[in-house]
Amino acid sequence: NKTQSHSRGEYNVYSTFQSHEPEFDYLKSLEIEEKINKIRWLPQKNAAQFLLSTNDKTIKLWKISERDKRPEGYNLKEEDGRYRDPTTVTTLRVPVFRPMDLMVEASPRRIFANAHTYHINSISINSDYETYLSADDLRINLWHLEITDRSFNIVDIKPANMEELTEVITAAEFHPNSCSTFVYSSSKGTIRLCDMRASALCDRHSKLFEEPEDPSNRSFFSEIISSISDVKFSHSGRYMMTRDYLSVKIWDLNMENRPVETYQVHEYLRSKLCSLYENDCIFDKFECCWNGSDIVMTGSYNNFFRMFDRNTKRDITLEASRENNKPRTVLKPRKVCASGKRKKDEISVDSLDFNKKILHTAWHPKENIIAVATTNNLYIFQDKMN
Amino acid sequence: MLGRGLKRKLSDYEENMAGLSSAFDSSRSLPYPLKRQLVLNMCLTKLQTYKMLVEPNLHRSVLIANTVRQIQEEMRQESNQQPVNICPGIAPASHSYTGMESPGISLQLPSGISQQESHCCDLRSVEDPIENSLLIVSDDDMSSAISSILKDLDFVEDISPPTCLVPTGDDQPKFPENTGLKLEDDRQDLKGAECVFGSFEISNSTSYLKDLAIDDIFEDIDTSMYDSDFCCPPLMPPRSPSLATEEPLKTFPSCNSSSANNIQICRTDLSELDHIMEILVGS
Repeated sequence: NKTQSHSRGEYNVYSTFQSHEPEFDYLKSLEIEEKINKIRWLPQKNAAQFLLSTNDKTIKLWKISERDKRPEGYNLKEEDGRYRDPTTVTTLRVPVFRPMDLMVEASPRRIFANAHTYHINSISINSDYETYLSADDLRINLWHLEITDRSFNIVDIKPANMEELTEVITAAEFHPNSCSTFVYSSSKGTIRLCDMRASALCDRHSKLFEEPEDPSNRSFFSEIISSISDVKFSHSGRYMMTRDYLSVKIWDLNMENRPVETYQVHEYLRSKLCSLYENDCIFDKFECCWNGSDIVMTGSYNNFFRMFDRNTKRDITLEASRENNKPRTVLKPRKVCASGKRKKDEISVDSLDFNKKILHTAWHPKENIIAVATTNNLYIFQDKMN
Repeated sequence: MLGRGLKRKLSDYEENMAGLSSAFDSSRSLPYPLKRQLVLNMCLTKLQTYKMLVEPNLHRSVLIANTVRQIQEEMRQESNQQPVNICPGIAPASHSYTGMESPGISLQLPSGISQQESHCCDLRSVEDPIENSLLIVSDDDMSSAISSILKDLDFVEDISPPTCLVPTGDDQPKFPENTGLKLEDDRQDLKGAECVFGSFEISNSTSYLKDLAIDDIFEDIDTSMYDSDFCCPPLMPPRSPSLATEEPLKTFPSCNSSSANNIQICRTDLSELDHIMEILVGS
């Protein structure tokens, strides 16, 4: 599994299970890693929870169910399961449910395999709750949750001649309300909105969202830092958010030529791009998430994560680390000193630890609780209780 | 000794690069062509490293290739504006790549990158340490480097392009628009476009078999043993798992051929196998 919880504080591990195993593709002599790329929850319909998890090639549907009672008092069986001799049964009783220690079971329900040549980077569940999409570098496939032996290819950007390849798909998501609409982002910083009703293969977009480049910020690395690492719709579906290397952009679906808002996550890194390119940090893929339609959150380096309030235009930098925060204490805002004299409590850019990156963050769909993942730990923060 | 020497050179190189990138980031006086050359070298180094990987990252490769192309285009435009001026004093910086020979990129005297050369001549004395570690690569080599990497990615990755699609009817536009993606409305379309599902159901690894003619697959397998009249029955799955572990030989079905010769050969082979099994199992 992808993350592990602390055992102290308010939260304990609920369940741990191995979703994928490493595989070996004998024909290509390639190892397929068991590393999970994405997890998506299905909307809950009954007592059990369902989620989709994917590695580079295979998506799996898992059912997670709880058992906290068990029947006792069978007529024909002993408590240990052995069958009783029927001649010894002289009375009848109704078995009763007795409480037991909570047992959480995870069982694989579907395995969706063999539909992706390239590495899967996204999965997204449709609002019809029956289908979902999976995207790799060059193709997007549509699946039905019940059917594992076939999928429909809905986007294919592979050129006939691979030497002409200049753009790859980096993320894809279904619209939260319109079940025929989805978007996908590219390594060139564009987002395409497609309508599955327009044609079977959505190679022609309905809308293309792209911001013209700011010539004053042009550098050798402009294209690399424009590559979008994550795209997320707001809960209402009116807006979508994209994350590129240095910023978070909010787009209004009705306006294609520029975002309505841009938030700088760590602009102080702009003058360090060559070093970040050299050590490959420039390729780090940060995710982003919404709280409703008002607040957005994303990660950065040095175990920092940032939140931006669209209404008040205020932003905050917080740190997820055990050394600097005791459980139940309020997080102290952090500040990075870009240049010049460093104030007390500020940290200078050169002291940032680029190995401590927060790539994954998540906001509870209903409450003000967030989950933030550092390299080895998962942090859960919530609004201060009064 | 040789190994240690090589290793030292590589780590020197890495340290050098890290130093160069911070020089790039912090120095404002570094001339633009030099910066450009530095970035170009870093890109080519990365592409070269990826080429050596079994499964290079497509996303990164494309981004880096685009950066190289962009620099290439810029340099080409510049050289079109300036007269060619080859500086004879420049030797290719061969020493920095001893550990990383690759046929994809060869070291040549620059051609048509005049701006760089005049700068190089001038700067040699001033920026010697930086200059010495920069590799000057020609235009063609860059293009071929990018092409070969992207081509390799295609060969390695995708052996099942969806081109085996059957058009579902006349007057239909090219396959992407129509084939098989209307499961909701037309069952008949389904059957007609079975090939579509075929390519989706079967993994890229097994569709490899579909694309090739059967003979091609077996071309390089040595079948001399089977070329005689003797017809060895194919290995069949064991009738039951327990049988397989205890007595593997007995699961070979008896030869179907009635010829005595064949039975004789069968027995000889079986006893040889017997012997081998004894050695392996140690019983």
